Amino acid sequence: MGMFTQSVEVSCAQNGLPLRLEWQGRTYRLGAEPVRWYERRNWWEEESRAAAGAGAGLVDSEIWRVQARLDGQGPLLTFDLSRHVGSGRWRLIRLHDAQQQRTA
Amino acid sequence: MAFTHLHVSTAFSAHYGVSWPEQLAQAAAADGADALACTDRDGLYGTIKHLRACMDAGLDPIVGVDLAVLEPAEALLNSSPATAPGSTGREQVRDSGLLQGRDTGREQLREAGRVVVLAHGGNRAAGYRALVRLISDAHEQRHPRSPVGVTVEQLAARAIDPQTLAPVLTVLVGPSSDVGLAMGGRKYLLPRRRFARWHRLMPAGTLAAEIVSHLSAPGDHLSTSSAVRMLKLATELGVPAVLTNAVRYCDSDGAATADVLDSARSLTPLTALAGPEPQLQPNGQGWLKTSRQMTDVAREIISAAGLGTAELTRLLASTEQVADRCRMDPVTDMGWKQPVVPEVSVIGIQHDPLTELTLRCEAGIGRRFPGISGTPERVMRARLQHELQIIDRLGFASYFLTVAEVSQMILDMGVRAAARGSGASSLVNYLIGISQVDPLRHDLIFERFLSRDRSTLPDIDIDVESAERHNVYSRIFERFGAERVTLMSMQNGYRARGAVRDAGLALGMDEDDVGTIAKQLWRFSARKFREAMAEKPELREFSDQVERSRGARTRHQQLDLLVDLTERLDRLPRHISMHPCGVILGDSTLLDRTPVQPSGLGLPMSQFDKHDMDPMGMLKLDVLGVRMQSAMAYALREVIRIHPSKAEVVEAGNHPVDEQGKGPSFISDDGRIELNAVPLDDEPTYELIRSTYTLGCFQIESPGQRELIGKLAPREFNDLIIDISLFRPGPMKSNMVKPFLENRHGFAPEVYPHPALKPALAETHGVTVFHEQVLKTFDIMTGCGLARADELRRALGNEAKEPAVEEYFRRTARTKGYALDVIDQVWDTLKSFGSFGFCKAHGAAFAVPTYQSAWLKAHHPEAFLAGLWEHDPGMYPRRLLVAEARRMGIPILPVDINASSGEYRVEWVLQKDGSKRLGIRMSLAGLYGLSGAELKRIVAAQPYDSLADFRTRAKVSRPAMKRLAQLGAFDSLHAAVKGRTGSSASRADMIAHLESLPSGAGNRRWDPMAGQLHLPLEDLELSNLQNRLPEPTMTEKVRTELDLLALDVSGHLMTSYQPLLEALGVTTSDKLLGLRSNTEVMVAGVRVATQTPPMRGGKRVVFISIDDGTGCIDATFFTEAQEKSGPLLFGTRMLLIRGLTRRTGPRGISLQALEAWDLSETATLPLPGNATGRPLAPELLTPGAFDGTSRTLAVTGFNG
Repeated sequence: MGMFTQSVEVSCAQNGLPLRLEWQGRTYRLGAEPVRWYERRNWWEEESRAAAGAGAGLVDSEIWRVQARLDGQGPLLTFDLSRHVGSGRWRLIRLHDAQQQRTA
Repeated sequence: MAFTHLHVSTAFSAHYGVSWPEQLAQAAAADGADALACTDRDGLYGTIKHLRACMDAGLDPIVGVDLAVLEPAEALLNSSPATAPGSTGREQVRDSGLLQGRDTGREQLREAGRVVVLAHGGNRAAGYRALVRLISDAHEQRHPRSPVGVTVEQLAARAIDPQTLAPVLTVLVGPSSDVGLAMGGRKYLLPRRRFARWHRLMPAGTLAAEIVSHLSAPGDHLSTSSAVRMLKLATELGVPAVLTNAVRYCDSDGAATADVLDSARSLTPLTALAGPEPQLQPNGQGWLKTSRQMTDVAREIISAAGLGTAELTRLLASTEQVADRCRMDPVTDMGWKQPVVPEVSVIGIQHDPLTELTLRCEAGIGRRFPGISGTPERVMRARLQHELQIIDRLGFASYFLTVAEVSQMILDMGVRAAARGSGASSLVNYLIGISQVDPLRHDLIFERFLSRDRSTLPDIDIDVESAERHNVYSRIFERFGAERVTLMSMQNGYRARGAVRDAGLALGMDEDDVGTIAKQLWRFSARKFREAMAEKPELREFSDQVERSRGARTRHQQLDLLVDLTERLDRLPRHISMHPCGVILGDSTLLDRTPVQPSGLGLPMSQFDKHDMDPMGMLKLDVLGVRMQSAMAYALREVIRIHPSKAEVVEAGNHPVDEQGKGPSFISDDGRIELNAVPLDDEPTYELIRSTYTLGCFQIESPGQRELIGKLAPREFNDLIIDISLFRPGPMKSNMVKPFLENRHGFAPEVYPHPALKPALAETHGVTVFHEQVLKTFDIMTGCGLARADELRRALGNEAKEPAVEEYFRRTARTKGYALDVIDQVWDTLKSFGSFGFCKAHGAAFAVPTYQSAWLKAHHPEAFLAGLWEHDPGMYPRRLLVAEARRMGIPILPVDINASSGEYRVEWVLQKDGSKRLGIRMSLAGLYGLSGAELKRIVAAQPYDSLADFRTRAKVSRPAMKRLAQLGAFDSLHAAVKGRTGSSASRADMIAHLESLPSGAGNRRWDPMAGQLHLPLEDLELSNLQNRLPEPTMTEKVRTELDLLALDVSGHLMTSYQPLLEALGVTTSDKLLGLRSNTEVMVAGVRVATQTPPMRGGKRVVFISIDDGTGCIDATFFTEAQEKSGPLLFGTRMLLIRGLTRRTGPRGISLQALEAWDLSETATLPLPGNATGRPLAPELLTPGAFDGTSRTLAVTGFNG
């Protein structure tokens, strides 16, 4: 499993479900129903401000586990994507399966 | 359909909930909800606020609690009950039965998860009663440290109404229960078995499964997958399922605050809570989600469970079903606003209470108004009739009888008591002995206390000796019965210092670093921390640190976070504690209406605070322990002890005598002084007050009051009432004091807005000072009547209600023909003052002890000061009152092993010229490290004739023995030996000798053997002392005294700084009065008071008072001087201040500070040597008495 924090582009359907992602110049299409949850951030280590009323996204981020194929073909890869609740920005944080060689 | 939240913690769940009931209710209502629950942890702490918030927001309140469930320690959560070792596993739990469950040994109980318990509504309070009793069960202490919580058996017993057998509670078993917690590790059987046990033990219709998903990672606590499993268990056993969000904050922004509260609750930094075993909330999803968001959550759970729309509808519908049966009617279910007082039969009255009250008032007329007749009698009787009518209409007769009963009971105990507050406005109170002030004489208005328009129970406050307060409480419990009495509690919220400490803890910052910051936070709310950093000079350094730390990715980047988290904690409740004076009295149903828990005192304490009294119709009696009453009671006992006859008291106190040489009637033949009978016109007392040497006097000793007294120069009792009423934030803020003084001294003509107002305002020269005057003004100008006038007064300052008052006032005054400019002018006065002013009845009640304390200081200063030292009632550190004795020339007698007792005693002292005078002997009680038992032994075995004798019979520890020697407690023994033997050893030699003795009980070389008669010949030990060491210097002695007693006894601590003070050219306090106004001077002294009162215009002014041995100097620091002094303002014990004298009255002078220095930092002082770089003379560098001591707080009253 590879650990990342890289920006990715994610296109979503109207109901908010991810459809495909662009990562390292390639496009991956979802091949299974994604799973979503919210995961804690250790905000007191990562942030320098926590003013009251600063808004959502301080304590947790939205995590999506999606299974997708390169260009809609090839093997299903499992990606963990994080979406910042405040800004809506997506990051790739984990890539599962035998793809370690690509993490470098 | 709107979703109803059934599991909501408010901020009153201490160290857990984040949002206030009002915020939650408003948010729920805005989302279209029509009901909302409040389920605080461990009690109904926020429930009454929730009721009001729901009523304001148009919601039906739902009331419940979040409680821990206890079970026998053997039936541990993670062990399977079937295989649990020992015989107290599942079988016993099952067999113990519903009612016996309460008697299982609580010491073997431990917490096994938490559940939510909701009261059912619409059953004439049966549900609320069961909830209240259940919570009291949970707090019952079988032994110290027993956990708060209930067993399943207790829950089951309370869930059914004992009369109707109908279900009255619903228990929600959810993710935090033993069932939910057992789901960890994907176990299946254990949670099922646990849930089956709930199902088996709880009566039908009282159990529901609580389904919660915070959308955390699959399999984690509060995840959708766990919710699915709970839902399946419920379906399997046929238990209704309800959806909640286990709410801790109103919106997602509160999640970070909840993290910090978790840290504060567990006293563990966030990093440690985050892993490796996570103890924080899994994420930040526990907010009051909208109906739509909750439906989405439900849909996600249902879909993950593989179920369909029908099940989704069923889950949401069963949630609403439970909600519906729990809707409370505040009036019929909880007794909203229905006053309840003790049954009159408890105080032995069988007939109509009003008849009894009338009879007692009649009896009081003869006592209070002997020989009254004619017009005064008609006026008095009309007033009495008026009051009784109102009391009758409100049905409060039994309330007055109850208070009279308590008040009589206190007097019968021989305890000093004084009524305080607006109760002094009532003639009935005066006649039946509750209050001591004649409302007719002081023109006090009954409507300020009670009126037909005001249906809430009025406050009657009784001040008693602080030392007797707990006894008084116990007697009230005895008298009315434990089922009718409980203590009131109070909420303690975060203030700036506590907030910064806990925020620092959460961030894992160094405790000392945070402590240093905390000390600089002075009287501002934590919410405004960042604002304060920009403004306050003492925070400048910290502010710079924060600035520097930005960008740099160091540990210091936390400082910015520290400020944010501190602001987040502001005002959040931390814990409840016993209110300093509130006692709740009710009838035999009181404990059905308020949950109680143990207080520090051993008596039960209600979970409701003062704001909850009125809504819940509870009668609160304020029995306040007042140290000044104890101090005065002590002084009176000392007077009679030293002067055991009337003649001696008259002589010592210089009391007036008549032609036959007889003293006043308030002194009885045995020398006892009836303080309440002392006439209120004693000239020496007013002389003392006018001198402004009022340190130690009740209410008038503060720097600000001494200044006001100096300006006002009181001549009579009414002046004292006015003085006390003027010295309030309102009048000070609205700048009324100056015009009042100018008119009083005739510098400016009295001005009345309209001649019609003259009768109301004449006593204060046209300036509105009292609430009573506001009432009269309203009444005169609108003809509204006094009762209505008091309602109008209460609405002043209330943003929502004031406009209507203004409209009414302007319209009616206009119709009555008042000119527009008059109306404008009067309205401005009413508006700026009405809400702040002081009730004259309060002022009158306060002025009595003020006068009495000044009277004692004027006539019996030694006994009075001894009382002050003993009970320490004032705002200053005790050492200042010792300095006051020194200033007054009263001998301060050192600790002596034979003469000192456990109290500060007045003692005759033989002076050098052979005459006698009174001095005050130091008490052993203040000695550092001397235990209560040692003190008792020392006093019991007095007197001693040698060190050995003392060691044998008093048996004090070696360190205590040494400390006594250091303080000179053996000097009198030593001096006697020296006189006989010519030995010339010093106190230092004696201390060295005591230290040289081998320790251990085996050493008895100097002690007589058992059975041997102790010969009172020579103290061999003392007479054999070698003269090796010099006697300690005065500075050393004073330093020792400061360390061990926190007092400077042998001399004033500033004396040792004399060379330095001379080099600096300082002026002493007693010389200031001789200087012109606006003279620039240097002054120096030890800090005795620091105040930052609210000021007109919002600019902060800091008052610092220092004591230099000749008196106090009160220095005012305005903005510029604060800038120049920076951290010195709040961080130093001894100050050098440069400033300008400011004459404030014939006897008053104060200092406007320009700059200040820390006197102990010799190198920074403006000494000639420091400027030129030449070394300072050695005597300037010698440490003074205060250098090197650590008793800062006790000595300066300031923990800087």
